[in-house]
Amino acid sequence: MSDQRGRIRFIDAGVTYPGGTVGMKDMNLEIEPGEFVVIVGSSGAGKSTLLRAVNGLNRLTSGSVEVDGETVSQREGRELRALRKRVGMIFQDFRLVKRLSVINNVLIGRLAHVPGWRTMFNLWPQHDRDIAIRALERVGIPEKAWVRASTLSGGQQQRVGIARALAQEPAIILADEPVASLDPVTTHQIMRDLVRINRELGITTLVNLHFLDLAREYGKRIIGLKHGELVYDGSAKTVTDEDFRDIYGREFTEDDLLEEQQE
Amino acid sequence: MIPQRPSRNWPLIIVTASFLLAMTWWSGNGIGFSVVEFLCNISGGGRLLAESWPPDFSYLPRLADPFMETLNIAIIGTVIGGILSVPVAVLAARNLTLGRVIWFTDRNFMNVLRTLPDLFWAMLFATAVGFGPVAGALALSVFTIAVISKLWSESLESIDMGLPEAVRAVGGTWLEMLKFGAIPQAMQHYVSYALYAFELNVRASMVLGLVGAGGIGMILETQRANFEYERVAMIVLVVLVAVLIIEEISEAIRKQLA
Repeated sequence: MSDQRGRIRFIDAGVTYPGGTVGMKDMNLEIEPGEFVVIVGSSGAGKSTLLRAVNGLNRLTSGSVEVDGETVSQREGRELRALRKRVGMIFQDFRLVKRLSVINNVLIGRLAHVPGWRTMFNLWPQHDRDIAIRALERVGIPEKAWVRASTLSGGQQQRVGIARALAQEPAIILADEPVASLDPVTTHQIMRDLVRINRELGITTLVNLHFLDLAREYGKRIIGLKHGELVYDGSAKTVTDEDFRDIYGREFTEDDLLEEQQE
Repeated sequence: MIPQRPSRNWPLIIVTASFLLAMTWWSGNGIGFSVVEFLCNISGGGRLLAESWPPDFSYLPRLADPFMETLNIAIIGTVIGGILSVPVAVLAARNLTLGRVIWFTDRNFMNVLRTLPDLFWAMLFATAVGFGPVAGALALSVFTIAVISKLWSESLESIDMGLPEAVRAVGGTWLEMLKFGAIPQAMQHYVSYALYAFELNVRASMVLGLVGAGGIGMILETQRANFEYERVAMIVLVVLVAVLIIEEISEAIRKQLA
């Protein structure tokens, strides 16, 4: 498996924000290429910090993160962009250019693959357009290619977000609370999409979730964070209610389950 | 039951009102303004108005060329200024700029541009490139940069930084972050401000003529010096109508964008 891309390693990694808040502490973690990992923890536990350290949106204040053996933390400029090119990201609030068409939003995923003078004048090579269309086909909305992004439903917008990440042809996908602004039905569709893409393309996938039942249903490996520290790391099949109580530091309630929200 | 309405802060209201009154009194004295004198002399203004009426419509055809010149000056000024204001505004926006030193320098550059009036720039360029419409167009370019960059840098500062961050996350450069992440969110504002600058420029080009920077203002100054008030009235009427039309058009364009 060592020749496959998408391996992530945290070595004694830590993040202390200005002001003293600890976002990550003594993190030692290894994620194998092609894994599907769900990260859980209460808000402020450091789930976003963990994801954002992988593509350098958040900088470590100690230790290091490696992607395929290359250290993320010291990279700047061109080197950092070369690394980010291989790491797709999906956001809770989708982050699309609302006034642009769907296909042009997906093409943003090709930015790092295309020379700057071309992207500035929207002169996308046919090769890259084909990749963008294939990405849209994979999330099942190729017919929306020329529609303005602002006219799509939430679930469709998140599919465009996923397609943009796929257009990068990434080794890793980071999904930061990808379903937190979606209704339960759409939530399951998007989670199934992520699982399917992980299976079909072997892209290492890290998903932050705050609903425990979703974590159990879709996760293969579950990582629990509390106050920036790793407190659980194990299979989704064997995770117990006891484990969740330890991660959250309290009894969990209906608020922590998506199914209960549907009532 | 809503809570009882809080009582007004009367002392503050009285102090504020007295202060405003005192300021007005002091300023009126300073410039020798007296209501009595004003009412006595108002007939002079009436005489001027009477002499300006009716506007000399036979003069209209001879206004066509100077008016077109005014329009040309305003268009060139808006286009050049509109383009140059983009980098000035971006670098002056705290969330997008390229470092504290550049931000600080650009901010101050912008402030200097804005502090100096358009007439100053017109005189400066008239001295540099000679009297005429080119000086006017250059002056209005600078004026346009001042107007658009100030307003637009504030729009840019209020955008949601999530999208620019997403562009960074795919490996985009600073320019790509601007083009795909930041500017689309503030594009409507930019068009609005550019249209607004154009309106200001048409108006300003009347004044610019006073210092010899071309356009309809130059004719205005000549006719005024010759006491041809019916012609002056015609010129004012033409500019008034032009500005109203431009306002209508830009309002329609802004509605389309929204």
